[in-house]
Amino acid sequence: MRPKLAIVPGDPSGIGPELIAKLLSEDGVCQAADIILVGDAHLWQRGAEQAGVEVTLNTIEEGAIGGFEGLVHLDLATVDPDQVQVAAVTVAGGTTSLRCLDKALDLAQAGLVDGVLFAPFNKAAMTSAGLNAEDEHRYMARYLGFTGYHSEINVLDDLMTTRVTSHIGLKDVAANIDAPGIQRAIELAHATLARSGKARPHVAVAALNPHAGDNGKFGSEEIDIIEPVVKACQDRQMHVTGPWPSDTVFLKAKRGEVDAVVTMYHDQGQIAIKLMGFERGVTVAGGLPIPVATPAHGTAFDIAGQGIANVSATRQAFDLLVRMATTAKTEAAL
Amino acid sequence: MLPLAVSCGETAGIGPEIIARSYSADGTPRFAIGNPTHFEGFGVSVVPIDTPAEARAAMTKGLPVLVHDIPGPATPGTPQAAQAPGVVSAIARAVELTQSGAASAVVTAPIHKKALQDGAGFAYPGHTEYLAALGGNVDVVMMLASDALRVVPATIHIALSEVPTALTADLLEQVIRTTAKGLTSDFGITAPRIAIAGLNPHAGEGGAMGHEELDWITPLIERLRADGLDLTGPSSADTMFHARARQGYDAAVCMYHDQALIPIKTLDFDRGVNVTLGLPFIRTSPDHGTAFDIAGKGIANPTSMAAAIDMAAQMVARRAAAKVA
Repeated sequence: MRPKLAIVPGDPSGIGPELIAKLLSEDGVCQAADIILVGDAHLWQRGAEQAGVEVTLNTIEEGAIGGFEGLVHLDLATVDPDQVQVAAVTVAGGTTSLRCLDKALDLAQAGLVDGVLFAPFNKAAMTSAGLNAEDEHRYMARYLGFTGYHSEINVLDDLMTTRVTSHIGLKDVAANIDAPGIQRAIELAHATLARSGKARPHVAVAALNPHAGDNGKFGSEEIDIIEPVVKACQDRQMHVTGPWPSDTVFLKAKRGEVDAVVTMYHDQGQIAIKLMGFERGVTVAGGLPIPVATPAHGTAFDIAGQGIANVSATRQAFDLLVRMATTAKTEAAL
Repeated sequence: MLPLAVSCGETAGIGPEIIARSYSADGTPRFAIGNPTHFEGFGVSVVPIDTPAEARAAMTKGLPVLVHDIPGPATPGTPQAAQAPGVVSAIARAVELTQSGAASAVVTAPIHKKALQDGAGFAYPGHTEYLAALGGNVDVVMMLASDALRVVPATIHIALSEVPTALTADLLEQVIRTTAKGLTSDFGITAPRIAIAGLNPHAGEGGAMGHEELDWITPLIERLRADGLDLTGPSSADTMFHARARQGYDAAVCMYHDQALIPIKTLDFDRGVNVTLGLPFIRTSPDHGTAFDIAGKGIANPTSMAAAIDMAAQMVARRAAAKVA
């Protein structure tokens, strides 16, 4: 079943519009999904010019979106062309980022698209434009009125990582490691993998302490908290293993033995993922009711407007989103 | 070059095997210290010797093993209490021979702390602390080094919850200074560039996720910079280790064990070498453990031991060159 996806350009001061133009001219992209570009016509034209490719804007009216096919465009007026500056944090850039995203989420909530892909945002610009949330994931959840558990998932090729704790100081990490939190992170990985087409994923749980605590010598969280959760998941016939020492668990991932690593804190997973594939990482808005994916890298102001941005992470995000949206669509049809 | 002194490590582990299997007749001159019979059965000729001076000639025939009093046969997977004192004294003998000028550097095979505690009352948390005591209670740091990356964890074998209190400005300053000195003396880098990781995600992001960077890490880095050290940071740990970032420094100082060990093991698991900086002698070791589960089966991977021997030889050459200059 071919999914319908909404794509938003991200912050126009960065490499977002250029990346989407490049994505659309890649082999197989327009064949894999029906795509609606959501955003001002001049933003998409700008991206095409920067990328040096042709993008045909087949603009349709909002009322005609139902059942759209192929590559179409929904025009918005979120930013004046004169207000777009390359490589600058601007309120205008943040505003257009948010309003295009809002519209894409509207389409998803109305059931007109099966997933959303966004090009990189600039957090400072969005904050100045009224993001009023810790990050775009929390913003999207609030916009969608979703109050359940959600958390960003970091993806590299065939590996996903979820986190028990995220953007908190290291001194607060140990106190925030608890069984429900670990359980949620395991289930989020499990569900997201299932959504991406893995029927029986192997979820490896990282330890908190060096050498997984070495039998309680350097910390007892493994014995007291993590092992019981892993055991409980195994009792439910889930393929969950651990706690594994975090300095070698990613080698299992490299060898293709695990589909996801549940990490206890931010840098535990991010160090490994960014080291293994800085150019290719993808972020998924895990837990949200609609599939949302984005390249993990940022707006790259240092190379914005030069036409040299690397499209590979955006392509990886698109391919993953197609799989997730296809599953979501299939499930909805049942 | 004088031969390297290689202590046998835990006799029930893979130490003797990986020492034997990293031998080649044209390799760096070295001698193992231990019971020669423990090195047999791995497809390498073993040549018992009584003094280090015999090592060079013996190398052409097989692995030279300086006979050391470790009674009884090796029992893979099961440490023998009677052998523990010999395992410990083999380390001390390697140091002694290196300090007396009979050997060029110390390479150690993995030990098993509990076996040595039980069998010999070994009170040190590990090799590094024992060697620091043998070296005169000097300040040392543990560096993990491979071709791709060098990392130094400022805190090591403690629970993650204890890291924020164990990590102090005094400790970090000592670690940075010892690292800088070691990079110059043992790696031949005259003006070493050291990257310092933040403790918190995104290096605290201006205090939004932890205050240690603002409160004392950044001020310490600035003070040491004013003192002439080439330091960057505190940097977000997750963007310090990809290929392009690694071009910017000679070593990364990390705040805790896994912050340092995740990148080096994920990048180069087999060729990681443990180097102790700050000692009056050179010491390297493989960065894995005794692997009781595969001991005696002839399937242990000698790559890290071979890398430890190569790195010790390179460090010896650099110290010698520095002395001449």
